[in-house]
Amino acid sequence: MSIALYRVDDRLIHGQVVVGWGKPLNARFIVLVDDSVRSSDQEQELYRMGVPPDIEVVFASTAEARQRLSEWERDPRTGILVFGDIDTLAALAANGHGVSRVNVGGLHHRPGRSERLRYVYLSDGEAVKLKALAAQGVEVTAQDVPTTRPVPLEDFT
Amino acid sequence: MTTPARPPLGRSLLRLFTVQGSWNYERMQGIGMGVAEQPLIRDLDGNGTAYHAAVARAAHFFNAHPYLCGLAVGATARAEHDGVPPQQVERLRTALCGPLGALGDRLVWAGWLPLTSGLALIGVALGLGLWAIFGFLIVYNIGHVALRWWALRAGWAYGGQVATALREPVLQRAATLSAPAMALVAGVALPLVVHYLTGGFLSWTRAVLAVVAAGGFVLLRWQRARLTGLRFGLVLLALAALIGWFWQ
Repeated sequence: MSIALYRVDDRLIHGQVVVGWGKPLNARFIVLVDDSVRSSDQEQELYRMGVPPDIEVVFASTAEARQRLSEWERDPRTGILVFGDIDTLAALAANGHGVSRVNVGGLHHRPGRSERLRYVYLSDGEAVKLKALAAQGVEVTAQDVPTTRPVPLEDFT
Repeated sequence: MTTPARPPLGRSLLRLFTVQGSWNYERMQGIGMGVAEQPLIRDLDGNGTAYHAAVARAAHFFNAHPYLCGLAVGATARAEHDGVPPQQVERLRTALCGPLGALGDRLVWAGWLPLTSGLALIGVALGLGLWAIFGFLIVYNIGHVALRWWALRAGWAYGGQVATALREPVLQRAATLSAPAMALVAGVALPLVVHYLTGGFLSWTRAVLAVVAAGGFVLLRWQRARLTGLRFGLVLLALAALIGWFWQ
C-alpha cells in the first residue's frame, strides 16, 4: 500500500484520525508532519499515547517529510499523513512531490478565520492557498470522518 | 511568576462539571475550559494583562473527554504560573486533546459506564429493583468524580510535564483491564436480562423476539454506517406500538 490519506487537521492525531479513518483504512503507520512537535519529546509522547501500540507513529519535520515522502509511498503498509496547517501541506505538495489528494479534516476557529463548514474555519489567505493547490492538480475535499460526504473545495472556499 | 500554595482546585472542579454546557462547533469545550481554569489563574502576576491573556488562551478551541478535561485545565494553569511561553501553553493544550479523548473513551465510555450499568442490570434481573439503580448511581459517580478530581490535581501537580501523570501504572492498568472487565459483566448480564425481560411473554413470542434481536444484530453490522442501535430501537418501538394498537 502507501499513504492512503493526506489530512490537514490542527488537532493532528486524535480519535477521528486513529479510529475514524485508521480502522476502515487499516492504517499501520501515521506520519505527523509538524516542525514544533518534531523538536519536542514531551509533545511526541503525548501524541503517541493516543495511538494503539500496533500502529507506528513517525514524527517528521517538513523538510524530513519532503525527503521521505517517496519512501512512505512505497511502504507495503497503509499509512496516514497528518499536518496541522495549510502552509505545511503547500510546502509538501510543492514541485510535484506526489501529493495528489488532500483531506481537510479539521481546521478550527482562530482570529482571522471564518466558518466554511462546521469543522473547517479558513482565513481568505488559506482559502486562496487551497485553490492554488487545486489548480496544480491536487484534489482537495473536506471530510471529517469517512461516514460523512466529502465536500468539494468549491463548496467551502 | 509565583505558584499559589493552596490553589482553588475545588472551585475549578465545580466549574468543570459545566464544561460541556457551552459546547459549540467554533470552540467545542473551549469556553467551558476557560471558565474552569479562571480560578486557578486569577492571581497571575502583572497588572491584569497576564491574567486576561491566559484566560483568552484557556478559552481557545479544545475537545477531549469531559471527565479528563481537568488534566488540561490543571496543567495549563500550572504552566501559566511557571512562566511557560504562551505558544508552548497552546501547543500543550492541542497535544492533550488526542490522548485525553482516547484514554477517556477507553476508561469511561467503553469501560466504567458499561461495566457499572451491566452490574445494575444484573441486580435488577436478580430482583434488587430500585436498589440496583441507586447503587449504580452512587458507584458510577464515585468513580466519575474521583477521575475528574485526580485529573485536575495531576494536571496541576505536573504542569508542562503532564505526560508523566498519564504514564502512571494504575491508570495504564485500569485502561487495559476496563474493556475485558466490561465484556465479562456484559456477558453475564445479557442472559440474565433476557430471561428477566421475556419472563412475562408466551413461548412463541419469545421466539419472535429472538428472531428480531438476531435480525437487528445482523442489520446493524451490515448497515453500520447508516443505522445506529438507537434508530433501530426507535423503529422497533414504533412497530410494537402499531401492532399493539391493531391487536386491540
